[in-house]
Amino acid sequence: MLKEKYAKEIESLLARYPEDKKVSAILSLMHIAQKEYGYMSQEAKEEVADILGIDPTHVLSITGFYSLYYEEPVGEYVLEICNDLACALRGADEFIDMACQKLGVQKDEITPDGLFSIKNVMCLGACDRAPMLQCNLKFHEHLDEEKFDQLIDHYRQRAAEGDDRAHEVVDKILIETHH
Amino acid sequence: MSDLVTIFVDGIELQVEQGATVVDASKRVDVDIPVFCHHPKLEPVGMCRMCLVEIGMPMRDRATGEPVLEEDGSPQINWGRGLQTGCTVRVADGMRVRTTTDVVDEARENVIEFLLTSHPLDCPICDKGGECPLQNLTMAHGLGESAFDFDSKMQNEKHVPLGELIFLDRERCIQCARCTRFQDEIADDPVIGFHNRGRALEIVTLSDPGFDSYWSGNTTDICPVGALTTADFRFGARPWELIPVASISPHGPEGANITMSTRQEAKSGGRVVIKRIMPRQNELVNEIWISDHTRFVHHFADAADRLTKPLIRKGGVLVETDWDTALTTVAEKLQAAGSSAAGLSGDRPSNEDLFAFQKLFRQGLKSHHIDLAASRIAGGDVTAQVGIASGSNLLDLGRGDVIVVVASDLHEEAPIWWLRVKQAAERGAQLVVLNVRPTRLDKFATHLVHYPVGEAVATVRQLLGAAQISDGASDQIGKIAEAIVGATNVVAFYGYEGLTYAETDVLAKSLANLLQVKNSDGHSHVGRVNNGLIAVWPHNNTQGAWDMGIHPALAPGYQSVDQPGRSAAEIYSGVQDGTVQTLFVMAADPVGDGLMNGRGLLDFLVVQELFLTETAKVADVVLPAQSWAERDGTFTNGERRVQRYYPAIQPVGESRPDWQIIEQIGHKMGLDKPHFAASLVFKKGIAAGVPQYSDMDYRSIAKVEKQYPDVGGEDLYYGGTSYENKHGLGQQWTSAAESGDVAMFTVPDVTPSAAGALPVIRTAALYTPGTLINRSDVLSPRMAQPTLHLHAADADRLSIATGDAVIVSVNGQSLQLSAHVNGAAPQGLALINGVSYAAGVLDAKIETA
Repeated sequence: MLKEKYAKEIESLLARYPEDKKVSAILSLMHIAQKEYGYMSQEAKEEVADILGIDPTHVLSITGFYSLYYEEPVGEYVLEICNDLACALRGADEFIDMACQKLGVQKDEITPDGLFSIKNVMCLGACDRAPMLQCNLKFHEHLDEEKFDQLIDHYRQRAAEGDDRAHEVVDKILIETHH
Repeated sequence: MSDLVTIFVDGIELQVEQGATVVDASKRVDVDIPVFCHHPKLEPVGMCRMCLVEIGMPMRDRATGEPVLEEDGSPQINWGRGLQTGCTVRVADGMRVRTTTDVVDEARENVIEFLLTSHPLDCPICDKGGECPLQNLTMAHGLGESAFDFDSKMQNEKHVPLGELIFLDRERCIQCARCTRFQDEIADDPVIGFHNRGRALEIVTLSDPGFDSYWSGNTTDICPVGALTTADFRFGARPWELIPVASISPHGPEGANITMSTRQEAKSGGRVVIKRIMPRQNELVNEIWISDHTRFVHHFADAADRLTKPLIRKGGVLVETDWDTALTTVAEKLQAAGSSAAGLSGDRPSNEDLFAFQKLFRQGLKSHHIDLAASRIAGGDVTAQVGIASGSNLLDLGRGDVIVVVASDLHEEAPIWWLRVKQAAERGAQLVVLNVRPTRLDKFATHLVHYPVGEAVATVRQLLGAAQISDGASDQIGKIAEAIVGATNVVAFYGYEGLTYAETDVLAKSLANLLQVKNSDGHSHVGRVNNGLIAVWPHNNTQGAWDMGIHPALAPGYQSVDQPGRSAAEIYSGVQDGTVQTLFVMAADPVGDGLMNGRGLLDFLVVQELFLTETAKVADVVLPAQSWAERDGTFTNGERRVQRYYPAIQPVGESRPDWQIIEQIGHKMGLDKPHFAASLVFKKGIAAGVPQYSDMDYRSIAKVEKQYPDVGGEDLYYGGTSYENKHGLGQQWTSAAESGDVAMFTVPDVTPSAAGALPVIRTAALYTPGTLINRSDVLSPRMAQPTLHLHAADADRLSIATGDAVIVSVNGQSLQLSAHVNGAAPQGLALINGVSYAAGVLDAKIETA
């Protein structure tokens, strides 16, 4: 239960908003829920709704609106690769194919070790540095096969060292709430 | 009234209230600006872009501030750079609007073409086809051809149940958000929402049950396409086959105006049947909304187990007989009993039925032993004096006004009033809620009091005391009293939750006196428009039953009788001890409701009913009555508005209208010949015999006038498929306070009903099982289950957990209930829900089954 596990964080988040506007804390609460459950599971949605006293439909609605809330389980490291026009011109489609092949998964699938999934996303605003990807909010640019291999090795190593789910945005929220 | 501004729409000059949108303002001069997302009852969002128009403002010289004039002296107009959405732009003085220019036409063509790129065009199988805003606006403004490749159309799921009542067709949705905004803004049930973005956007629900709202059906009315349909009507008929019949909701004291869409069909054996119930606009009553209960309850009228022939007991069993035998038997038996005969009626039949019923007893039998079979709430005599004044409209209440709600869960008991009270609070009216437990109204309350169990009456007395002294006491009650006395207008609702009949009498009179307290300007809150008392009656025509004299001590029009007859309670005890030998029960089931223990020592029992109820099963004669759908008549709502309903379907079997059966019995007993029509019962009986109704007839009640917003006309796109009111807005009768001062009421003393270790009260649920609602299969999954709500602390003490089967003994009856912990019950009070009525605070024994 989020309420118990993150009691302090939740309390401090809610304290930022006036009594009748507590629902404003929804995005941050959803990040915490996603950190806990890996994605916005039914449980996650219901718990967030319960904390805010709203219908879970509201949480579902926001989950669907923002691309950084995941509705299906994802790997610990989500490789979000843009292949909009500019990126595609710089070989993003081929890059995605290569990445899928290397990891042995299709788009939106999770690697058997649970570490990676690949998502095809819309423009991330780094057209001049394509092919590029975003991994747990961190940009990796001017990529090629070699750099991709290094990246994967890097994350594998981090995971082996016991990297707690690398949802850095959540950590940021949690750090902020401690101040 | 708000200030008026002058604008020009396509050259037509008009004055409209400041703050109106261009679309709504243009509507006043019959300039129709097409819309999809805009709805006159919802906040503007400007999502669909269909209402694009040219908007110009008179130019002013920047230096002098003077208007810049053309050579001919007319103001020079700045038309801006592009088109603007008429639904989001508010009128301003001097504004010019052009809605018919080429550039506007082109914009409309483009929006239609764009919308159709994702719309399936399956009109031939779509329920909305024939009354579809998208269809109509495509015909009016569409190009007829598209640059779009049809193979690229969205293909989405077509039969998505959003719960049991409403289905979603995902590919038909044009993303106008009318449904989600309605649920959010109007119904306060935001249980449906948008999911994903762009072309992938879809309507979703996660509530349990799905689309959990008493108002869900309204979203199908305002949906501008066939995306939302009701499980009840979908694929049932084409709109153009339907004949609309004006009617009034047969449930609830609000008197919601409805339209029954009927069709003659082979699959129903050639009968005309009700295919759907739709709202009918009455801005004074229900605006354009109805609850799902009102929408879906109609199935009882066509139920297979309706009584079709008179029944008579022969050799111990009920057998079919002819009308003449049945009527003669009843007449003879009643006449033999004479003034000792007793009559009990439900509070659902029409005024005509009820008037005839009391006339049969008072004139035919010289008996005053008549009463409502289930009297829950007193005060008809009080509202006759200080009831909400005629001409009032809850829609007019807002800033400066106060609404008081005591001992009622309006959301469950009278949802239309809940909606209107909530909206008044949102407009700025102060809402005072007094109840023993939390309800859905609490969140809108300015002043909220949860009084201790058994202290409803004491709390209202305290309030009255504070108002009379008005010493500016700063405690909560003092503040409430001050707000009430100082308010511009005050409307007070009172109900009967957790109260006995006697307690509600005290409540009504105390509130009446409270409303009569004069403020410093010498104004009280009775007898003035938008002021007065409203009783939250349990049924659609409880008010009419009071007015028609279904009361042992009050003849029609609240005239006292010299020798009051037996009350319902006295009749029931008389049935048991043999002092009541002959009983006539109309439209009520006292045996089924646990009020009467079988037929007791009755010598003769006649029951007039739609169904073979528990009471009918033990009767000597059963007379089959027509439901409200088969005939015409009038109901009087809780605001004392007398409203007409019209016949929609043919009579079932040999059933007859209640008033006619009673008059035929009366005729056999020597009373006048039966009237030919309900209208004549009204004219010759009610208008002549009930002073408050003397200025009414079927014509005056059927008067209509132009209503705004103009919903339900030809242009379905504007307000949805709710029907225009062509058959009557009804007529409110004037309370005594409107024609002169009324005296303060003498408030009797009352002992609050006793409470045991854990007091229990029965709370209302909109879908409580009953004779009529049980026939609507579509509502059966939503029916309130017999439940005992307990606070966690009380549950611990009793070692009861959620889901446990418990037996609660109330008034000698054993109720089998399922326990629910941590729900709605406050500590120290248990609530029973989903069972028929039980009065007051109950000393109930709770045992685990």
